[in-house]
Amino acid sequence: MTTTTRPVKVKRTFEQTAWLWMRYSAFLLIPLAWGHMILQDVVVGVHNINADYAIQRIANLGWKIYDIFLLGFAFAHGMNGVRQVLRDYIRNPQTFQVVSIILLVVWFVITMMGAIALLAINQPLGG
Amino acid sequence: MQVKLRVFRFDPEKDQKPRYDTFIMNVDPNDRVLDLLEYVKADFDPSLALRRSCAHGVCGSDAMRVNGRNYLACKVLVKNLNADTITVEPLLGLRVIKDLIVDMGPFFENYRSVLPYLINDEPLPADGKERLQTPEQQMRFEETTKCILCAACTTSCPSFWADDRYVGPAAIVNAHRFIFDSRDRGAEKRLNILNEQIGVWRCRTAFNCTEACPRDIHITQAIAEVKKAIITGKVE
Repeated sequence: MTTTTRPVKVKRTFEQTAWLWMRYSAFLLIPLAWGHMILQDVVVGVHNINADYAIQRIANLGWKIYDIFLLGFAFAHGMNGVRQVLRDYIRNPQTFQVVSIILLVVWFVITMMGAIALLAINQPLGG
Repeated sequence: MQVKLRVFRFDPEKDQKPRYDTFIMNVDPNDRVLDLLEYVKADFDPSLALRRSCAHGVCGSDAMRVNGRNYLACKVLVKNLNADTITVEPLLGLRVIKDLIVDMGPFFENYRSVLPYLINDEPLPADGKERLQTPEQQMRFEETTKCILCAACTTSCPSFWADDRYVGPAAIVNAHRFIFDSRDRGAEKRLNILNEQIGVWRCRTAFNCTEACPRDIHITQAIAEVKKAIITGKVE
């Protein structure tokens, strides 16, 4: 053997998880965001989107789940980005931890509100 | 050719704020920026303060900002700047001591924090001589042995500008040099240090470091290899 592979024990840290999350969420966003854009802007067409169409679409359970995933991952990706930007301005680790928790709570609440709103619509307008 | 040389000047003992001195001079296109600064010192103002030692791109003393980019003043030729006006400023992100001299203290503190030396407490080989390695094992970290600690990379890094406690590209490069050395046994320690909040995760792959390195080290790649070793728990 010419090169060696050595196992090392490195403990998981929050920063590492956040960094990995940024990559995983970005990876999931590629099909989710592209699928959404191609459907809305190319297949349906921007000028054909109206309230009836939107309600009809999200009346479908599959689209509800798709949209909840899109909201959750896009928002989490963005919030993690905001966290990274704020890291440049907040020098105190404790303050930064508090800010990180606030961002996580904001993400959770907004995603839940979006999910509840999506799940609440169950029939086309006037149906 | 004639150039306008603008030099950052600041003496914290006398000046309230920095200023730029301008010198119009006739130079050879093959002159280095260091030569221009030496002309200034010899002919115009001997009080200009700058660091220089070998003047041949090896010691790493004269890293500075030339037209907004980090270079070794002794390695950049006037003709390669493609400009009539040459602005020379100290490295960003470190305190200016005087003119072009910055306080390298935080930089070396970060460097020391990653244990940049061989760690191996195992007994020596039977012959009591060297710990041998194959040429392939040596090539694994050859790239990062080229670092001359000039700080051009670290002071071009936006994450370092924001917080000088971030270890910075140069420290990670020097950690890489030992982490991937088959003779070393300190990889675990170093990787755990670099896994902290001030470690590799502050790298946003801006590539400024790779662009600034006067030794052409693939710094962003070295940082990515360290990140990979942390995530996979394997030093390959």
